[in-house]
Amino acid sequence: MKIRTLLFSLIALLTASVAGAQQRRITGRVAAVDGGGPLASASVTIIGATTGTYTNEQGQFSLLAPQTTITIRVRRIGYQQRSMTVPAGQNDLLITLVKDVLQLEAQVVTGTSTAVSSLNSANAVSVVSAEALTRVSAATLDNALQGKVAGAIITQNSGAPGGGTQVQLRGVSSILGAYSPLYVVDGVIVNNSTINGGLNTITNASRAGGAGNFSSTQDQSVNRIADLNPNDIESIQVLKGPSASSIYGSKGTNGVIIITTKQGNAGRTNVEITQRLGRATLANKLGQRCFGSSTEYADWANATVGQAKAAAAAEYNAATTKCHDYEGEYYNNDDLSYETIGSVRGGTSGGTNYFLSGLVHHDNGLGPTDYYNKQSLRVNVNQAFGSKLTVGVNSELLHTLTQRGISGNDNTGITPGDIFSQTPSFYDLQRQADGSFPVNGSALLPGSNPFQNADIVKTPNNTYRLIGSITSNLSLYATERQTLDARVTGGVDSYASKDNVISPATSFTEQGNFGALAGTLFNSDAAVLNANVNGSLVHRLVLPLFTAQTSAGFRQERRELSTTQLTGKGVIFPTVNNVSKAAQTFPDQTLGLSRDFGYFAQEEFFALQDRLLLTAGVNTERSSSNGDQKKYYTYPKFSASYRVPILPSFISELKTRLAYGKAGNLPTAGRETFLTNLLYEGSTGTRASTVKGTSEIRPELSTETEGGFDATMLSSRIRFSATWYKKQITDLLLTAPKVPSTGFTSQYLNGGQITNRGTELELDVTALQSNSASWISNVTFSKQTGFVDKLPAGVAPFNPGVGSFSPRYGNAWIQEGQSTTVIQSTVGCTGGLPASGTCAAANRILGFGGDANPDFNMGFGNQITFGPFRATGLLEWRKGGDVVNLTNNYFDSADLAADTAASHARLKLYNAAQHPYVENAGFVKLREITLGYELPANLTRTVFAGRAQAVRLELSGRNLKTWTKYTGLDPEVSNFGSQPLGRFQDVTPYPPSRLFFFSLVSTF
Amino acid sequence: MRKLTLALSAGIALVSGCVDNTIVDPVNSPTTEALSGALTSAGVQTLALGVLAADRALVRGDLTYYTISAIYARDAYRIDPNEPRYVSETLGGQPDPGSFAGGGGWTNGFVTIRAATSLLEGLPAAIETQISPTQKNVTAGLVQTIKGLEYYRLLELRDTIGVPIQTSAPDSVAPLSCKANVLTYIAAVLDSGNASLAAAGATAQLPFAPPTGFTAFGRNYRTAANLVLLNRGLKGKVDLYRGLQHQNPTPGAFTAAITELTQALGGAAPGAVPASTFQTGAYVTFVPGGTEGAANPISDARVGVNPKAAAALQPGDTRSSKIITRAALSGQGLTTTFNYVGANTGVAANQSRPIAILRDEEVVLLRAQAYIEANQLANATADLNSVRTAYGLAAYPTFTDQASARTALLYEKRFSLFFEGPQRLVDLRAYGLLKAPTTPAEVSGDPFNTAFPIPKTEADARGGTGQLTPVCN
Repeated sequence: MKIRTLLFSLIALLTASVAGAQQRRITGRVAAVDGGGPLASASVTIIGATTGTYTNEQGQFSLLAPQTTITIRVRRIGYQQRSMTVPAGQNDLLITLVKDVLQLEAQVVTGTSTAVSSLNSANAVSVVSAEALTRVSAATLDNALQGKVAGAIITQNSGAPGGGTQVQLRGVSSILGAYSPLYVVDGVIVNNSTINGGLNTITNASRAGGAGNFSSTQDQSVNRIADLNPNDIESIQVLKGPSASSIYGSKGTNGVIIITTKQGNAGRTNVEITQRLGRATLANKLGQRCFGSSTEYADWANATVGQAKAAAAAEYNAATTKCHDYEGEYYNNDDLSYETIGSVRGGTSGGTNYFLSGLVHHDNGLGPTDYYNKQSLRVNVNQAFGSKLTVGVNSELLHTLTQRGISGNDNTGITPGDIFSQTPSFYDLQRQADGSFPVNGSALLPGSNPFQNADIVKTPNNTYRLIGSITSNLSLYATERQTLDARVTGGVDSYASKDNVISPATSFTEQGNFGALAGTLFNSDAAVLNANVNGSLVHRLVLPLFTAQTSAGFRQERRELSTTQLTGKGVIFPTVNNVSKAAQTFPDQTLGLSRDFGYFAQEEFFALQDRLLLTAGVNTERSSSNGDQKKYYTYPKFSASYRVPILPSFISELKTRLAYGKAGNLPTAGRETFLTNLLYEGSTGTRASTVKGTSEIRPELSTETEGGFDATMLSSRIRFSATWYKKQITDLLLTAPKVPSTGFTSQYLNGGQITNRGTELELDVTALQSNSASWISNVTFSKQTGFVDKLPAGVAPFNPGVGSFSPRYGNAWIQEGQSTTVIQSTVGCTGGLPASGTCAAANRILGFGGDANPDFNMGFGNQITFGPFRATGLLEWRKGGDVVNLTNNYFDSADLAADTAASHARLKLYNAAQHPYVENAGFVKLREITLGYELPANLTRTVFAGRAQAVRLELSGRNLKTWTKYTGLDPEVSNFGSQPLGRFQDVTPYPPSRLFFFSLVSTF
Repeated sequence: MRKLTLALSAGIALVSGCVDNTIVDPVNSPTTEALSGALTSAGVQTLALGVLAADRALVRGDLTYYTISAIYARDAYRIDPNEPRYVSETLGGQPDPGSFAGGGGWTNGFVTIRAATSLLEGLPAAIETQISPTQKNVTAGLVQTIKGLEYYRLLELRDTIGVPIQTSAPDSVAPLSCKANVLTYIAAVLDSGNASLAAAGATAQLPFAPPTGFTAFGRNYRTAANLVLLNRGLKGKVDLYRGLQHQNPTPGAFTAAITELTQALGGAAPGAVPASTFQTGAYVTFVPGGTEGAANPISDARVGVNPKAAAALQPGDTRSSKIITRAALSGQGLTTTFNYVGANTGVAANQSRPIAILRDEEVVLLRAQAYIEANQLANATADLNSVRTAYGLAAYPTFTDQASARTALLYEKRFSLFFEGPQRLVDLRAYGLLKAPTTPAEVSGDPFNTAFPIPKTEADARGGTGQLTPVCN
């Protein structure tokens, strides 16, 4: 009944004609303060009415207004909005705007097709600008975000070129389900899968598949959001939790990262060309044990590999170099990295706007033949058809070619880090004068020589990707008081990713491991398609007392992922890369298809002169991923924000806010009981899997309450924002054991509960702001904890990691009452340690040796300009958080660590069932630094013959310095790539690099 | 206004077009739904091979079925410095229900039974143009026989600890049944298999080629007439042990066993089975490496022959070829310099060496055993001697008492079936011999384990050890 009343009043309002009144024409010009140029594309609206227009290329506008005194509001991206009273009779205006350096008024997303100014937003939505993203060249988007978003823990998986980074917003929200935030680019939900590249065929890191090893999570592959070109991005908004991301329904639990690419704007055509040249250098080394004498080596060889002392000594004495620096020799690729970015931006007001860009990017890896190449081409066009219809088309074509080398865990002695840990450092491994490579003489390895492998083993990934979207806005109805718009956004993200592993039989590693079947080929083709379409109606009602924005619509999504993998073993002909010519071949295929459909509706209600914003929304969705494919799951949200009107004079704005919302996480498995293939004499047999599915599987449900305040002080020179949240996840996707005599060992179910709590603070200070100099500082702080409140009946504590080695080193562990990210490890010996110093297996006490969750994360950014000079810096401080350093164990077990005493001390603790490999991985990193100089205008004119408007020279660096107590190569590491839990394993990773760039940025 | 109407109706059309298509059938992998649909010939074949492959997974899994049962039966050692539990939880102490040593040889058996039940349920609906009623019957006969075999294998390992009899509803948990009940149930399953085979007719053939273990060892079990031989052999074995349950012997079991075993031998008279057919039977075959990765589990560098078994060989017994010497294997108070010929990892072929499910030599010995228990000692002697003389030993004169006949029988069974499964463990239990002084302790504190416990995973999922008393009804 209430709904009907509401509908009636809506219709009444829609059809109500506004009383006709005498009109006047107001004209004016909008410009930046302090002699800045005209501002095109600024919006000029009359407060209390829907009437408005945009400025043209000269910053001019013209507007019909009533004869009474009115207030107009002028807005322009990048500037603080301004309202001014226009009395009757004043019909010519000059309006100047102040730059919004602290982004106080960025538009933040509140719904599928609605946004509000961050002045009013009820959520702590972080906005990262284009300028902040691209100060220093970043290989991938997620690298560029590190240290810039409070509440986001962004961690690289290794130093290999081409990315591989995990973004975690507001803690761990799923144990076995999806854990990546949702990425949305111009309205298209884009895929962030990791396609495992098949390194496992030669590393045997995961031995499950026997000789037919396929790809595994230990393939050190890249999550594909890395493909995006960061330079095309206008802004990134981070919806950190369900209270904001509820609008994304059953995909919103892990937060949403909304990316808006640059659009053309009316005004002078702007051409920008950036040329960067750079280098990557090895940032950290572990070192090797250096044997000081033949006696020392002979003792080692006798004890470790049982070699006769005399023979060992002779071998040592024959070597010309007694101590090689293998890491320095191997990770010594000093070719140049480069990046060329070109863009054209322009348009006419009321007609066509366009943004075109191109990118050619080459990162040189540290390893002899490693690199990352990316090319992209973007065309964004907006076209207005009359005054009612605008259509925008955004498209990006991308290509990446990556050769990441070999790193991470192995069981074949092929990873360079593994080889170095097992090779006494007097063996020469480098290419000899005659072009040959020596067989590694270490008895601990199958002859592997990483220099030889780098020369002949290829592991390329080749990806072509197209992301395209169309957005259209049709004004169905517009009067002074009301507007009704129909908006449709649709798009696709499609890519083909091809992985190859070509490991010839001539490789010593192949010969030593696979004997007659030496020579490996792996060929994987992955095809991914994401497509979604949203349609919505947005109604705006502007009345003197309040403004109400109502939106409702639908959303449909389709996701496909298929991979075909072929492995060949026993490849005889060195140049032939056809898997079918191998002695043994193994095929594998995976197909995935899911479809979602949902409706949403939202009401935003502004009152008290836009000081109060109340929002209520609901999203209801069904998905083929659920047990009941036809059932709708509903996610509501409510929020309120209030800008406090009466304030002490030093506070310019104070907003308090409270938001509540629910979001889901679609089940990734569990609907079906699959049939498992079992081979018998090569013929396929089938039986039911021992893991039983259930038709009741449903999305994980997260509920978040977020509250806080935002204050701007001292004439908007200081902004401070504080947020507290509590996020509770129930109905977790889990497996529970079944009685094995039923023929099933476990079953999927929903249950249990995790609670995450956290604090996020942001402080932005404009310490100095004048015509010739400015200094802006940003500080972000976030701290969060997560606990497993309960597990469903029958679910015992368990190790959730897709991979881990043993609690002797440390693994993830889910147990009621414990931190979600706790690290289970041995912590002592029952009955005390025996005299031998070795605790018997049965006496090892299991406990908790650490926690992967950092105590807190802070980012410190500074941007200083002084005349033509500009300097920026970004420091990230992550306090605490543990990593399991198995790389140390590699060196310790071979007794070849650089620091023998420390190594022996660790082994002693290890034997005593302590946990010496769980290490504090806190760090302070100098993420970014830039020094820029803008050439004087007259010099620019002379050099570029008057064609260039501005030319800037820049020196920049990324990850130049790390301060940490962590003894491994880099505290940012994950042998198993991105994982919901258990990502903290350090196993002979690719070492980190320092990146230096010299850039020339010219605007025409 | 017309534009508005157009846009709205287009919107509505779009929405309604989208609404009904979130249903996605599983594309990546077949689900158990496939079992309830109409099975094709290929479907029947893969499901039947699935049952056989699952059975192979049971005998390979955790080294329980062949290796640890042979350790219990004092024929084998497995000494591994990295894994002391092959001694400490077999000869040195009680098996831990939570470890592989106590918890193995369980789940895979029930997985096989579930697979068999599913196929039996789906078979009647199989497409008739692809699978004739006769072929359905012969397939059902094979699957019921394997299902009976699987329960028997589980009972060999668990004995009086009990085995639950799986119900067809996957979510219902059956109580543990006592040994007598399980034997009765197995007998019934095997009989229904026999009935299916009879309904198919002697000349009927399986609609698919079974693994070579069913065709390449002197008899082609693809034919119903030959499957009957396997079925009856297993039934005779089950009936023999039904008679040997000293607490609760099944009346007439030995006579029934003699009839069935004679049928399994094609009606051969006592002593009339030639040594040339001793290897004839059905086998599990092994395929090492590759994607299949199913090597013979006995081929194992850490395995050796218990020196007391080697010492028990009578002089002149040509079965001594089964025991070879090896580099000393010692640890945990045990040592041996003997190896089983099939355990020698130096011979690559051992990884793919087949092991019999049931072969005629065992059937002859089972019949001899049934004759002994039925006190038909002349017939028993004839069968025993037919085996004994085949291995170069002198024939026994006709036995005059059951006790000495049993002793002779146990010797022949031990070495004829050396390392071929838990037959000796079952016999030692049946005759109460697995205790000192008859069987000497291997290490101090030898608990003379006779059967494996209910695995911890099973006990936990049932809600604790209180739920583990086997039920007899």
